Amino acid sequence: MQTLVYLATCKENCSIRKISEATGISSGYLEQLMIPLRRAGLVEADRGVFGGYRLGRTGITCQDVLIASEGVFRPAPCKECQKNGLCKTHQIWSLLQTAVSDFSKEVLIEDLAAHLVDRGTGGGI
Amino acid sequence: MKISTRGRYGLRLLVDIAEHAEDDPIALSVVAKRQKLSEKYLQQVALLLTRGGFLTSVKGSGGGYLLKEKPDQIMIYDVLDLLEGSITFEEESDGENAIEEVLRLHFYRPLDEQVKRAFAGLTLADVTHAAWFTYMI
Repeated sequence: MQTLVYLATCKENCSIRKISEATGISSGYLEQLMIPLRRAGLVEADRGVFGGYRLGRTGITCQDVLIASEGVFRPAPCKECQKNGLCKTHQIWSLLQTAVSDFSKEVLIEDLAAHLVDRGTGGGI
Repeated sequence: MKISTRGRYGLRLLVDIAEHAEDDPIALSVVAKRQKLSEKYLQQVALLLTRGGFLTSVKGSGGGYLLKEKPDQIMIYDVLDLLEGSITFEEESDGENAIEEVLRLHFYRPLDEQVKRAFAGLTLADVTHAAWFTYMI
């Protein structure tokens, strides 16, 4: 999430080093985080002198990022539970899951980035 | 956020007691058998729920647990909040950077409010009554 918000404030490609400085996330770990984000098309990368990362598209939501990096949010490990249809507490986890996904698909990375830019703390601007 | 075993077992314990409550207290050994959960673990959860004011413990032979309030007075959000310590995504850390702060204030905090709103008014009675969850699916 931090990486995406930061990239949304950058006008040009951003190196891993620059992202690492802004987010405090180690370069090695960032490289790993980028793999599923690239696969999901949320970030794109160029090689070479002016290489680096940028957002893959506009309109990326927090839910897009969370699903790409952590998978679908499941508050309880009920998938394997055979009592799904019978267990009444299961409905509580569904409610929680729906609340989280409904909210996170409404929040745009760009909007979060705008808050950062408002404070003059965005990257690359 | 993941709901821990304690949170999941605790709710199943409350639902079980609410569904089988007569005047007599319910022994944890009975709940353990019915729910196929470890009795030892249920003891720990029951202690927490008693301290938190959701259960009453009755000692002696024929002892066990009763709900402290009527099921329609027990808020699911409050139960989860007790069992899990808190059910929020927002975490304040020392020395957070500007990006973390923006995420916390503009994503995680409003997300927590949304979750709270989703659970507002949801009681143990709603969960034990089929009426509530049929429209959820």
